[in-house]
Amino acid sequence: MEVEVTFLTVRGSAVMRRSRRIDARRVRFGRGTGNEVQLPDIRVDLTAAALFPRSGVLTIEALGPSPLRLNGRGTRSAPIGLGDEILIGPYRIQLSEPPPGCDAALLIELVQPLGDALQRLMSQVQGGVAAVPFGKRAAAWTGFLIIALVFLAGPIIVYFVGFAPLSRAIPSDSGVMAPLVRLWEPGELSNPHRFFATNCATCHRAAFARVRDDSCFACHGGIGRHVEAATEIGGARRTLEAMQCTQCHEEHRGNRAMIVRENGLCLQCHATLAQSTPGTETSNVSGFPGHPEFRVTLVADAAGPRFERVQLGKTPPPTDHPGIKFSHAAHLVPGGFPALGYKAMACADCHTPEPAGLGFLPVTYNKQCQRCHALDFERQDLPWPNARVPHGDDVGVAAAVWNFYAGKALQGAITESQLPAITRRVPGAPTSAPASVADGPPAGNAQAWVAAKTEAALRTIVFDDKRGCAYCHLGTGPEGAFDLSSILPLGATPRAHAPGAAPGRIIAPVILRTRFLPHARFDHSKHAAVGCDECHAARKAETSAAVLIPGIENCVACHGSERAGLRAESTCLTCHRFHQPELGPMRSAGTAAQ
Amino acid sequence: MRGGNAISVAASARPNRHESFLAYSRYRYLWFAALIVGVAVVLYILDRPYGTRYGGTWTGYTLGVVGALMILWLTWFGYRKRSYAEAQGRLVGRLSAHVYLGLALLVIVTLHTGFHVGWNVHTLAYALMCLAIASGMLGVFCYMRYPRLMTENRGGMTMQQMLGTIATLDEQLRVAAMPLDEATAMVVERAVETSAIGQSLWRQLTRRYPGCTTAAAIVHLDAIAETVPSALEEAWSQVRVLLDEKSSLLSRVRRDISYKAMIDFWLLLHVPLSFMLLTALLAHIVSVFFLW
Repeated sequence: MEVEVTFLTVRGSAVMRRSRRIDARRVRFGRGTGNEVQLPDIRVDLTAAALFPRSGVLTIEALGPSPLRLNGRGTRSAPIGLGDEILIGPYRIQLSEPPPGCDAALLIELVQPLGDALQRLMSQVQGGVAAVPFGKRAAAWTGFLIIALVFLAGPIIVYFVGFAPLSRAIPSDSGVMAPLVRLWEPGELSNPHRFFATNCATCHRAAFARVRDDSCFACHGGIGRHVEAATEIGGARRTLEAMQCTQCHEEHRGNRAMIVRENGLCLQCHATLAQSTPGTETSNVSGFPGHPEFRVTLVADAAGPRFERVQLGKTPPPTDHPGIKFSHAAHLVPGGFPALGYKAMACADCHTPEPAGLGFLPVTYNKQCQRCHALDFERQDLPWPNARVPHGDDVGVAAAVWNFYAGKALQGAITESQLPAITRRVPGAPTSAPASVADGPPAGNAQAWVAAKTEAALRTIVFDDKRGCAYCHLGTGPEGAFDLSSILPLGATPRAHAPGAAPGRIIAPVILRTRFLPHARFDHSKHAAVGCDECHAARKAETSAAVLIPGIENCVACHGSERAGLRAESTCLTCHRFHQPELGPMRSAGTAAQ
Repeated sequence: MRGGNAISVAASARPNRHESFLAYSRYRYLWFAALIVGVAVVLYILDRPYGTRYGGTWTGYTLGVVGALMILWLTWFGYRKRSYAEAQGRLVGRLSAHVYLGLALLVIVTLHTGFHVGWNVHTLAYALMCLAIASGMLGVFCYMRYPRLMTENRGGMTMQQMLGTIATLDEQLRVAAMPLDEATAMVVERAVETSAIGQSLWRQLTRRYPGCTTAAAIVHLDAIAETVPSALEEAWSQVRVLLDEKSSLLSRVRRDISYKAMIDFWLLLHVPLSFMLLTALLAHIVSVFFLW
């Protein structure tokens, strides 16, 4: 197909023409240079339309996204003929009479040159995100200033200046400045320290310096040491001296206590203590489980007194020597006792918890035993009722007996020849009583009679090996026999004693321990739901030598390791303490480390 | 080309097809970031400090130093991107590293916190970092999605072409509406005078222009459709067709603008957040050692 294309340019009244001939199967129009007819305007599609014969008829077809306008009507494809006007973008293409040899003649004119409308529209579009009230730079500067002032400068100023100038204006407990100060807190303070939460300098004494021990000692100066000062523990002493409070106590961890509970802290020394500190009594521990069997502190000799630590679970089992004859089994019989109305005794009848609930008050004769085991005297007519021999006072016992017979002698009128009507004689005792009794008092000697009666009573009743005090007690003589040599024989005249001489002991000392595991802390009140029998085999204990403290296997039934999930989580600190107040203060003010 | 600082890269290093910055160099920086994250997680799990895990344990300090250095390096990208003097490597590679290491930073700093948060400057720095990374993720999403949508929307036209066509239609509308009545002519003139594109960022993003004069003109013309005298029907329909064309072009332009706005908008968040993060990071580090 041969087409003549003429470009018209109108300037005022002058019209310029530029023609050329195109020979092509299809004549394409567009702003791209590959088109047969290039329409160089931005508003034209790259390839906007094509002109070609279809079934002998010239057809114009839109190739680009924009529709064509044929004689004022939008179209994408239509046949055209002479006189038709096609608008492609701002170009008008008219079909005119083709010259000879051509199939068509086109007159192309740019009828709508770009005015400033395009400029205006472009400027509207180019705003972009600059249309915001402030740009990135302003926002960044604003953010920087706010954060730097509030979060960096503010707390530093408050740290150095403190609240002094402000406290006159703002009451000190109003907490107004608290939020600003606490912006630097990495975590909430522990409960007991919150009352100085707004004054960081209480602990952080200097900027860019770690919290040192002297901050803690300002209030906690008397905290107890871990090992006695005098004990020789080799290199471990240096380790203990160099330790810092903050190694085990961390603050800013919230409400919970500050103490770090991990076993590893303790095991750093205690796993190899036997190697690092030769001669130590403390066994190595490798954890829990891994804790050695308990060692109970027992009375080896109540007279010394001498104590010993014995490991449980050994054969033969450890024995206690409290110096008393007592059978738990005999007291816990199911039938009970007449004096108590035949109600079976319970542990709580004798063992009273301490006020704090940790352990139990000591068992004493006056509080617990006297109810049933009263030391009643003979049922003789006495001016006073319920005579009792005093408990715990050996000489007092002898004096009470002597006083009784002296009283008897006084009651019976003082004549030498008179004898009391009844001569008491113990069955089985030798019929020939000591000389001063069987033959009656020497004429006129009531004192001798009293002495004789007293001695008989003391020897055969009170301090007899099988009755009287011996029901529960042992004597100071060999094999627990009573040694009465310090008070007997009683002469007719009292013998002179050295002034200030201590009375001899007839009853052997008794030590009833209340704490058998003094290096640990067992809180009975926390275990109140567990019955006494579940841990203490008291019903089977027939003598006081039985040690009723259970071994560690009793505890691991409920207590598990550090990260136990199915048992009570237990660490070293569950039962033990690091600081022992009874050993004195850990550091004096002068030796506060660094 | 002579000169020591020739900014020419060997042709073999340039792929022939478009390679997304995420897939750059066969995901090299994704593997690198995954490696760093893996090492950090393993370190976090293996270390069992006494007390709680937090930024002050050995692991905490290590992760904190690494995180802080990474933040500085990531911020440095903003400078290098705008610097013509840099001749090392390609920007797409640096961008790829920036994106993946920014994501890795999220994990590393979260482990550094030991999962402790509170109302303090430390959590402020952490929160700003999370927001900055989130805005960065928004940016990645925008660059993944919107260029293709823009291309499809334009259909081969350029913005100039679209606006030029609108300007042409405006001229044609002026002429075509001349025979119509005063009210209609005024409405059409208003439609031609101003075109509702651009304006505020919100309008750009949502593509909502309640005061669009072209839409108002269409409504008016439809309203008078019944009452147009037969002699003016041709003019009416011409104006109506032109207005439709303009309206569809306008919506195409607005869509293009909204995509462009999204592609730019996320940076409006990302950059200020990064600087606020740097400030908060400085406050965090100073406070940690001030009250050691």
